[in-house]
Amino acid sequence: MSAITLRGLTKRFGSVVAVDDLHLDVQDGELMALLGPSGCGKTTTLRAIAGFELPDAGDIDFGDHRVTNLPPERRNIGMVFQNYALFPHMTVAQNVAFGLEMRREQALAIRSRVATTLAKVQLTGLEGRYPRQLSGGQQQRAALARALVVAPDVLLLDEPLANLDAKLREEMRFYVRSLQQEVGITTIYVTHDQAEAMVIADRIAVMFNGRIHQLAAPQEIYHRPHTWMVAEFVGLTNFIEGKVVSQEDQLLVVDTALGTLRCGGLAPGADAKTERLMAVRPEAIQLSGRSGGGVSGDVPGPRGADPAMNRLQGVVRARAFLGNLVDYRVEVASGVVLRVQGDPHAPFAVGDSVNVAFQPRSTWSVPAREERVC
Amino acid sequence: MTIAARALTVAPTRVVRERRRPWFLVVPALTLVVVFFVVPYANLLVMSFFMPGKAEPYDAIPTFGNYTSALGDSFQWWILWRTLKLGFLTTLFTLILGYPLAYNLAHAGSKVKGMLMVLLLSPLLVGVVIRSFGWMVLLADNGLINSLVKHWGLAPHGLKLMYNEFGVLVGTVHIYLPFMVLSLSGALENIPPDLELAARSLGASSTKAFWRIVFPLSLPGVFAGCLLVFVLAVSSYVIPVLLGGFKVITTPLLVVQTAVDVHNWPGAAAQAVILFAASLACIGLYFKLMNRAMRGLSA
Repeated sequence: MSAITLRGLTKRFGSVVAVDDLHLDVQDGELMALLGPSGCGKTTTLRAIAGFELPDAGDIDFGDHRVTNLPPERRNIGMVFQNYALFPHMTVAQNVAFGLEMRREQALAIRSRVATTLAKVQLTGLEGRYPRQLSGGQQQRAALARALVVAPDVLLLDEPLANLDAKLREEMRFYVRSLQQEVGITTIYVTHDQAEAMVIADRIAVMFNGRIHQLAAPQEIYHRPHTWMVAEFVGLTNFIEGKVVSQEDQLLVVDTALGTLRCGGLAPGADAKTERLMAVRPEAIQLSGRSGGGVSGDVPGPRGADPAMNRLQGVVRARAFLGNLVDYRVEVASGVVLRVQGDPHAPFAVGDSVNVAFQPRSTWSVPAREERVC
Repeated sequence: MTIAARALTVAPTRVVRERRRPWFLVVPALTLVVVFFVVPYANLLVMSFFMPGKAEPYDAIPTFGNYTSALGDSFQWWILWRTLKLGFLTTLFTLILGYPLAYNLAHAGSKVKGMLMVLLLSPLLVGVVIRSFGWMVLLADNGLINSLVKHWGLAPHGLKLMYNEFGVLVGTVHIYLPFMVLSLSGALENIPPDLELAARSLGASSTKAFWRIVFPLSLPGVFAGCLLVFVLAVSSYVIPVLLGGFKVITTPLLVVQTAVDVHNWPGAAAQAVILFAASLACIGLYFKLMNRAMRGLSA
């Protein structure tokens, strides 16, 4: 077990910079997810850590042990591939034993360690099967066993659940997490699935174009995104453009096309532009009825009349029932549609006029699109 | 349980689909095979059991004489042995030379791969005769190689490179190499590159990863390539004629000489059948060995 440190890691393919001066510290025993769309450099980063790609610049350390120029076989890693990469001409037991054989362990020790590891991933009894005779989930666990049996310093997982069907994938998230906790191994988990990263990781590094936009715990990533790309990639977000006009009680006052709204967010520095994007999560917005003409401006929300509450009025344009929630599209100004997710028992239908309200503290603002980091 | 259940539900539909398969579409191909392959071979087989004729190719007198004289002739046994030996050596050398070539072909980028493919296949555009003449220019007693060797004083009398088994082998290895490479690269391309990386991540050096993972998985290609080259090499005629200059007699040459020069068609037919049987025996043995090798490695 050891921490992983990347210092200024850079990898180019021709004129394309796949990984751009990347710095990353993964704590001993931590599970770090590298999250991003395809082509963001997350897999290249993982392959550089594994030793499959030699970086053009930068260093990779496992603990206080520099591995930058070591070939993969001398890094003591465990790796699980997206397609599992089980050896098709070997049985499950032979697959799992392979790493131990390469380490010249005694045959007797190999047999007992293979049995223990297969028991740990609940594959006892399937030792003699060939990979093609296993289900997707079993192959996945066999690949995990093969990677873990050699007691690697670090575990590298490259989209390990991407080939499983949705239901099994959800189960395996918890399984992989509990296995990692049990073994206590430093793990890097590459995925493009934000839900997977949220469930499984201690911290998430969100990557775009070879750079890390934000490195933080899942809650932080979700509620306080650093850039609009992070906000857009992780979960659903409504963006409202505006200009910061003042600051009031730790909130930013933003002048938008929808009127003056208040939101959370880091105060822009003196020299920074004041153009901001408010990111409002669909579940942070509450709808209430405005039928019968009502008293204008009065929102009988569950929180009562909070003076700081952002209030808008709109019309339900679309409604989708998703079982555990209802997904509305509410037009709050001509051409501006907010997505709102809420109680499936809510009574609103398409065409209803509604009051729209959201707490400033449940919103976050990010620098406007022009200031993109990449 | 679930797999068994699925098999049960799938099986009946498959039977129905097979019954509906339009079998008559194979008739043209089948006709072609019967007319141009089965009938001539059957004719050859029948002919080999009749007496040689004076005016006709054979007289309608049944006999085993063609076989007894062919099998009783130690010279013919020796020729057969040489034919099979040259076939085996050709296979071995095309495998050794072709494997690295196929490996690089399978791992090349798509642009490079196209170019390599053209390079590999372009010799096939030129006939066997022309290519053999090309080798004669290089290998002859006063050919390019020998004049250089003599010029540098490496061997004052020159080297004997042609009109011997070496010359024939050079020709067959060169000409049948593309068949081996194509078989091998097909198999190698089907091996996911992640398997090799997985082996490396588990502590295997690149050499070990190759011998434990890549090579065993390429065995079907090795198997197919060797079979193809062996069959082609054993039955080749033009290359031994040109590069062996009738000093390296192989069974195909002997068959033609017996039929055309001696005008003993039934004798030639018997020799051809014996070569066929011997090749078949070799291939059978090879199948057995290969099956054992692949069972040890796959299932």
